[in-house]
Amino acid sequence: MAKSSILSSLRVSWIMQLSVKKQDTLLKMAVLTLAALLSFCCRLFSVLRFESVIHEFDPYFNYRTTKYLAEEGFYSFHNWFDDRAWYPLGRIIGGTIYPGLMVTSAIMYHLLNALHISVEVRNVCVFLAPFFSSLTTLVTYHITKELKGPGAGLTAAVMIAIVPGYISRSVAGSYDNEGIAIFCMLLTYYMWIKAVKTGTIFWSALAALAYFYMVSSWGGYVFLINIIPLHVLVLMITGRFSHRIYVAYSTLYVIGTILSMQIAFVGFQPVSTSEHMGALGVFGLCQIHAFVDYVRARLPKDHFDVLFRGVVTTVAGVAVLGAVALTAMGKIAPWTGRFYSLLDPSYAKNNIPIIASVSEHQPTAWSSFYFDLQLMVFMFPVGLYYCFSRLTDENIFIILYGVLSIYFAGVMVRLMLVLAPVMCILSGIAVSSLLEIYMPQVDLDSNTSSSLDKKKAKQDSNFFFRGQIATGFVTLMSLFLISYTLHCTWVTSEAYSSPSIVLSARAHDGSRIIFDDFREAYYWLRHNTPEDAKVMSWWDYGYQITAMANRTILVDNNTWNNTHISRVGQAMASPEDKAYEIMRELDVNYVLVIFGGLTGYSSDDINKFLWMVRIGGSTDKGAHIKEHDYYTPAGEFRVDREGSPVLLNSLMYKMCYYRFGQVYTEGGKPAGYDRVRNVEIGNKDFELDVLEEAYTTEHWIVRIYKVKDLPNRGS
Amino acid sequence: MVRWYYLLLAFTIAIGFSESKKELTQGERVQQLTDAAIKKPIINLNSEKFRQFVKATPRNYSVVVMFTALAANRQCGICRHASDEFQLVGNSWRYSPSFSNKLFFAMLDFDEGSDIFQQLHLNSAPVFMHFPAKGKPKKLDTLEIQRVGFSSESIARWVAERTEIQIRVFRPPNYTGLLALVVLLAMVVGLLYLRKNNLDFLYNSTTWGLIALAFVFVMTSGQMWNHIRGPPFLQKTQGGNIAYIHGSSQGQFIVETYIIASLYAAVSLGLVLLTQGYNVLFPSHRRGSLTRPGAAHSGL
Repeated sequence: MAKSSILSSLRVSWIMQLSVKKQDTLLKMAVLTLAALLSFCCRLFSVLRFESVIHEFDPYFNYRTTKYLAEEGFYSFHNWFDDRAWYPLGRIIGGTIYPGLMVTSAIMYHLLNALHISVEVRNVCVFLAPFFSSLTTLVTYHITKELKGPGAGLTAAVMIAIVPGYISRSVAGSYDNEGIAIFCMLLTYYMWIKAVKTGTIFWSALAALAYFYMVSSWGGYVFLINIIPLHVLVLMITGRFSHRIYVAYSTLYVIGTILSMQIAFVGFQPVSTSEHMGALGVFGLCQIHAFVDYVRARLPKDHFDVLFRGVVTTVAGVAVLGAVALTAMGKIAPWTGRFYSLLDPSYAKNNIPIIASVSEHQPTAWSSFYFDLQLMVFMFPVGLYYCFSRLTDENIFIILYGVLSIYFAGVMVRLMLVLAPVMCILSGIAVSSLLEIYMPQVDLDSNTSSSLDKKKAKQDSNFFFRGQIATGFVTLMSLFLISYTLHCTWVTSEAYSSPSIVLSARAHDGSRIIFDDFREAYYWLRHNTPEDAKVMSWWDYGYQITAMANRTILVDNNTWNNTHISRVGQAMASPEDKAYEIMRELDVNYVLVIFGGLTGYSSDDINKFLWMVRIGGSTDKGAHIKEHDYYTPAGEFRVDREGSPVLLNSLMYKMCYYRFGQVYTEGGKPAGYDRVRNVEIGNKDFELDVLEEAYTTEHWIVRIYKVKDLPNRGS
Repeated sequence: MVRWYYLLLAFTIAIGFSESKKELTQGERVQQLTDAAIKKPIINLNSEKFRQFVKATPRNYSVVVMFTALAANRQCGICRHASDEFQLVGNSWRYSPSFSNKLFFAMLDFDEGSDIFQQLHLNSAPVFMHFPAKGKPKKLDTLEIQRVGFSSESIARWVAERTEIQIRVFRPPNYTGLLALVVLLAMVVGLLYLRKNNLDFLYNSTTWGLIALAFVFVMTSGQMWNHIRGPPFLQKTQGGNIAYIHGSSQGQFIVETYIIASLYAAVSLGLVLLTQGYNVLFPSHRRGSLTRPGAAHSGL
């Protein structure tokens, strides 16, 4: 009675007049809409603090290719050979990327513009990831609804809207493959679960289409093409194989593989690499299993046994021999290092230092798990246990997904992204099942006045505390969920919302200073250099220079040619005259360096210099570059007076510290005090012979030099 | 007459003694070093032997010497590690196909040759120096431990740089992993054999559930990080206290991961008890007794 009076006073009494079913639907839709909106809004911190700009390095490449696709059309995009990167080698773009992200953005762009909503390509790119995260929320609801029920679905949807592990790669401005890949992955899983439950070709074909979308968007599709066959295998082992699974998997495998081979980058891999052989094997096994079941139903038992045993041994032997022979002959490629290091975690550390050194490929400490997932780290096992206690075909799938992804997330920090959705699904199941048990008990408190209940209460004297325990537990759960929300929003705001292209710091009086030097320099390049100018810089900045300055570069983040990068490293590490020869050979017009000594920005080129030296000295032409020469006699890397003379005369040093010797950076320190290395620089008064300073940004973070032409007269 | 003989005898004996104190020829030195190296790849030196073999000229061989301080009261733990790595290099050289008498490995302990330490102005240990056949050792003839470390591979690379002799470091295979695997397999097979009449426990989903849960706790507490990075078990801080938890979020100790794993297990199992306790048992008297510890667990 109290409830309806409150509601009627709010003039929404029409809600009470709806049937229960309609109230139910209204509530579900309201929660889902709010969750989708929440997931979109939560990712907008950097847009609100700075502006709608693309973050980091890789998204700039994606942005440039999307712009090209939107302007030139699909066929030019597919056949695109880019001559503005890796000068003079160029790079084939059309066949070496996953086009799903670009095609999705281009379609949205054309759709919105056809409706006369004029949006720029850049804005479509920036907001694509949050939009797809809203869609992910909806798909998560549907998956969890299939596994347990709508209550669990709603909980899981709300949890995945704000989970930091997913937000980190899909924040507004982070225009990268993972933004849509997670949505495609969950969509494929949803279709697969429906296909397994219903056993119809309709759902399996839809699953194949969703799988095609997944293959086009991310290289992590290998995970899908291994987990689905693994699921079928486990079902076979536990004796749950039925005609539904047979129909679902056969359709999905055939249509899905053919579709996946349409992506140029994937090509013939699904039939020739070890990562895909598991799926083929399970496909064959499916056919055999179904055939055996068919024969079993027709033959008398003893005949069948003989036939069965004979056939199984021959087929198994032939299959194993065939696989071994093909691998030995090289027709089937063995596991690539990248994926093999997931199976054997210590492989990369011992054998492939490049893979081992990338920071995203490091193993995961427990603090990273807690930071990205908080509450779900201990709700996840509860959900897992719940699935075990009610084993169905789809529960087995989610168990497999959960256990495998937690192993991979433990091996490589980057794969935390794959773990986040299943954590949300299983935690949603756990929270919902816990609350389902205790919520009904809470009402008992208010009704103890009636005599009937008093009698009942006396009977179950142990139950006197039931209402209190239930209330206490529900409060506890609410506190957990509130702390989860607070943690997630704090993490998103502090840790995952920085567009590394624009930096900000606090001055002593608390006001914010924005460092927009990168874009300042790139736009200077765009407006003040000839169209065909070639810019040399270290490979980190390649994508940004091509996307924003629109100039030809020598090396970029794709790092596919180590010799070329090594040549650039040699130029940076050699003295001026030697470097000039290399720069003339490569037709370089401008050189760009990043210098953090004035502002204290620590990811500058001097801190990366030793890598330039190592890579530069790793090829034949760089044999004269020895890392040892750049250290002091005591073995330290120093830029002050004690520094090694080879370092103090290298091109990189001169470019970074030109005219820096006269600048006062900090109170109480001499001129030329480097705020990152915390020393006064050693080589202060020098002139540049072969370069002239073209531009230095406001805070000296980016410095551009023009390479002088050969002198007019002989000397 | 007899007195002359005695005098001659004494004279010969005196000459004989002085002969033994005379410098050995190069050939004899090489022979003695080779014999010593065959017996023990790292030759133990003292001041006398150092002067005789390493400092003496002419030499047609080079010597790589490790100056160390292995005595217990010197408390040089790093010397022990470096010595192990050096032993590996020495052994690899000894059994390599290109073993020759042009290169020898030796070690000089501080307690046995402190004057040499003083002479060479060495005031830290360990130090690896290469004494070439001709000339004095240069700057690069001392291994820069701060830069490249003292692993056998670094030592071998440095020796190759100084002497052009390539040594392939051969680490003896570690059989403990294999042994553990064999023991585990034997246990599993034995268990299956003993219970071959009653394999139903394999079909019990609760067993698998608990195995999966254990796996999840192992992974979320960061055991994979421990396996790859090999952190210490715990750390003794300067004040003499024991630090169980790593200072920064970039690292962790093994004992820290065990604490975290048990915390996670406690909370999750508490929550599981809260649900299952309700369902599994008869919904009357005993239900309350399971929910209260479960709630307490998860509250903690």
